[in-house]
Amino acid sequence: MPKKIVKEKNKAEKWKIRRRNFTYACVFSFLGANLLMTLRFFFPRTLFEPKTSFTIGSPGDFGFGIDTRFQQKYRIWVVRNASRLFVIYARCTHLGCTPDWVQSENKFKCPCHGSGYDNEGVNFEGPAPRPMDRAKLSLNPQGQIVVDVSQLYQCSPGAPCNFDNSEAYLTV
Amino acid sequence: MPDDPISEESKKRGKISSVIVRIKNGIWPFIEKGKEDLKAAQNYKKTQVWKSVFRHKLDDTPRTRSLAVLTNVFLHLHPAKINRDSVRFNFTWGMGGISFYLFFVLTITGIFLMFYYHPTKGQAFADIMYLENDVPFGGLLRNMHRWAAHAMILTVWLHMLRVFLTGSYKTPREFNWTIGVILLVLTMLLSFTGYLLPDDQLGFWAVTVGTSMARATPLLGHEGPFGPELGMTAFNDVRFALLGGSIVDANALLRAYIWHCIAIPLILSALLAVHFWRVRKDGSISGPSPVVLESEMKKKYKV
Amino acid sequence: MDWAQLWEIVSLPDNIPIVFLLVLLPFFLWYGLRQAFANDRLISRLEVDSELAKKHHRKIEPFREGWDLKVYVWPYLLRIEFLAAVIVTFVLMVWSITLNAPLEEPANPNLTMNPSKAPWYFLGLQEMLVYFDPWIAGVVMPTLIIMGLIAIPYTDKNPLGNGYYTFKQRKFAILAFSSGFVLLWCVFIVIGTFIRGPGWMWFWPGETWDHHRLVFETNQDFHEILGLTSQPWISLVGGMAVGLYFLVSGWICHRFLVWNDFTQRIYSQMTLTQYLIFQLFMTTMISLPVKMVLRLLFRIKYVMVTPWFNI
Repeated sequence: MPKKIVKEKNKAEKWKIRRRNFTYACVFSFLGANLLMTLRFFFPRTLFEPKTSFTIGSPGDFGFGIDTRFQQKYRIWVVRNASRLFVIYARCTHLGCTPDWVQSENKFKCPCHGSGYDNEGVNFEGPAPRPMDRAKLSLNPQGQIVVDVSQLYQCSPGAPCNFDNSEAYLTV
Repeated sequence: MPDDPISEESKKRGKISSVIVRIKNGIWPFIEKGKEDLKAAQNYKKTQVWKSVFRHKLDDTPRTRSLAVLTNVFLHLHPAKINRDSVRFNFTWGMGGISFYLFFVLTITGIFLMFYYHPTKGQAFADIMYLENDVPFGGLLRNMHRWAAHAMILTVWLHMLRVFLTGSYKTPREFNWTIGVILLVLTMLLSFTGYLLPDDQLGFWAVTVGTSMARATPLLGHEGPFGPELGMTAFNDVRFALLGGSIVDANALLRAYIWHCIAIPLILSALLAVHFWRVRKDGSISGPSPVVLESEMKKKYKV
Repeated sequence: MDWAQLWEIVSLPDNIPIVFLLVLLPFFLWYGLRQAFANDRLISRLEVDSELAKKHHRKIEPFREGWDLKVYVWPYLLRIEFLAAVIVTFVLMVWSITLNAPLEEPANPNLTMNPSKAPWYFLGLQEMLVYFDPWIAGVVMPTLIIMGLIAIPYTDKNPLGNGYYTFKQRKFAILAFSSGFVLLWCVFIVIGTFIRGPGWMWFWPGETWDHHRLVFETNQDFHEILGLTSQPWISLVGGMAVGLYFLVSGWICHRFLVWNDFTQRIYSQMTLTQYLIFQLFMTTMISLPVKMVLRLLFRIKYVMVTPWFNI
């Protein structure tokens, strides 16, 4: 074949390949962009979920021991002893069930897998790995206790214990 | 002598170098294998993984061209070869295929919309607002779903027009035309049931008007001819059956949702399968076929 | 000429499909008929020249000796299908990004909007409600339309035009279908979208939609014109009028069937059942424009009044 025709054939081939690559690039970037848009679609920007911060009355409303009056409404127990008042978030640290306060045995017992916690929420039996978490507490200007269950304080065996963090309890 | 200091040193050196040699001998086969794997990765089309997924080669031969269509689950609706002129846009306008593609788009967008929609009074409308304002790309998705629905009705009508103009309902394709008409009705019902789902004024009154017609059905509606005589009341006639009640309310919304998302799409898909099957069985796309002259009509058509 | 009103109607997002319909339908009709006329010219040539008729490949598409009659689906069909998918996706995305789907106020059973319109693809039926009672316009007519469409292949005895566009060989079929689909169905949709305003009143394009425009329309029933006031005479006269209509329109449809030699050849092959089905659907289809004329020109509301139903 004469050189000129061969050269033009090669050029045509080159442009064919360029066009093919361009098309593939367009198709895959379109599909890729759509995939990213789809993934982003699954994360809405606002949520309508219950409030995590609420008041539960004044410290004087609570006597010594475990108070279960807010368990149904806010999923918390209010614990008061001689030195402190703190709020336990009623979630078992094993797999998340809500334990029961068994007054007669002076312990919290989780019905799911049998984890047991003492009357301060510290685990002593069953599969629970650590004590139940405690909620952040503060006092508002009116003297009411403000509980914030979006800020929880943990006390894991291997890590520093946060129960003595000043915001994890109230001195009363 | 074993304790000869010179030979000990050389033995030590020998020990170290022999250990090094032994290590090298041990590793070398692995390096060789690694090089083989790299080469295989470069010829990925010859690997076992590739060949197990793609069961034929991708070279440009008549055999591969046929196999690409016939052995592909998504494409094997098509024959290996078709009438050279059916490929052109002129004859078919592509409307049937475009309608199917729009149905596919509607299904996908519809499924995504379902992640954010509760078919309950009050919640439904709020969900649409949520979708448009708080969900990334939610507005785009809803728009795509709505406009694809309108477009599909248009393309389905144009498809019907084309099939009529080319006489592609004549023998042996009569039954396929029947299936097509039923598909047309189902498409419009899909659009209608979807219309109510945002639970806004537009949808609510459209469905009120639509189901009021049901009230007027002869024999089966409580306000239709001969309906009351047959014992039809607002609480047991065909409109009641459609709405799940005597008013357009929560039950109507839920029923519209189920018809729209599950029941009608399933029926439509089944009939689509029959429709495509019949296209192939009746001899592929009807044309363009050679023109027949009046003089060539069969003898029986003589006056 | 209220351009603002016109623009408001045309640019409403939910009316955009009608705008597309107004463009696409004439385009595709033209596109199909253009090929039909080209085929007709070919047919005329082949009818006079029998030698050519034996050798010609008989299509308007080009064909040379040695060309394959069939081509591979991969790549030829699939690439054009892929292109169609790309174009449709592109149009759909541009459309979805620029126009928002409508969302009105939350459903309020105690407040109806004015005008309250069905979705555009049902506007044809809603327009019919002006001329017929709900049980006819909403139930009987749609059922007959569907059944009539299904009946087409089984009553069309014309063997020509099977797989190619033609007008000359299928004049009646194409005219009948076009008058039903384009003239009745699609024009009614256009009327319902652009012409019908508040209160379903008639507003010409460019007229402002006035919610308080007064309407001085008094309609009469057919039997009132004749001065009858008691049943069963009213029903009988009405029944006779309806019967007379079917006879006259049936006769007209029959004339179409025996119009010329060609149609007579096809008519001779029709069975009685096919003939009756054909008559039923054709006469019912024509009854719609007839009823419209009676209503619009003569202000007649009901032709037939019985204790159980009115037509």
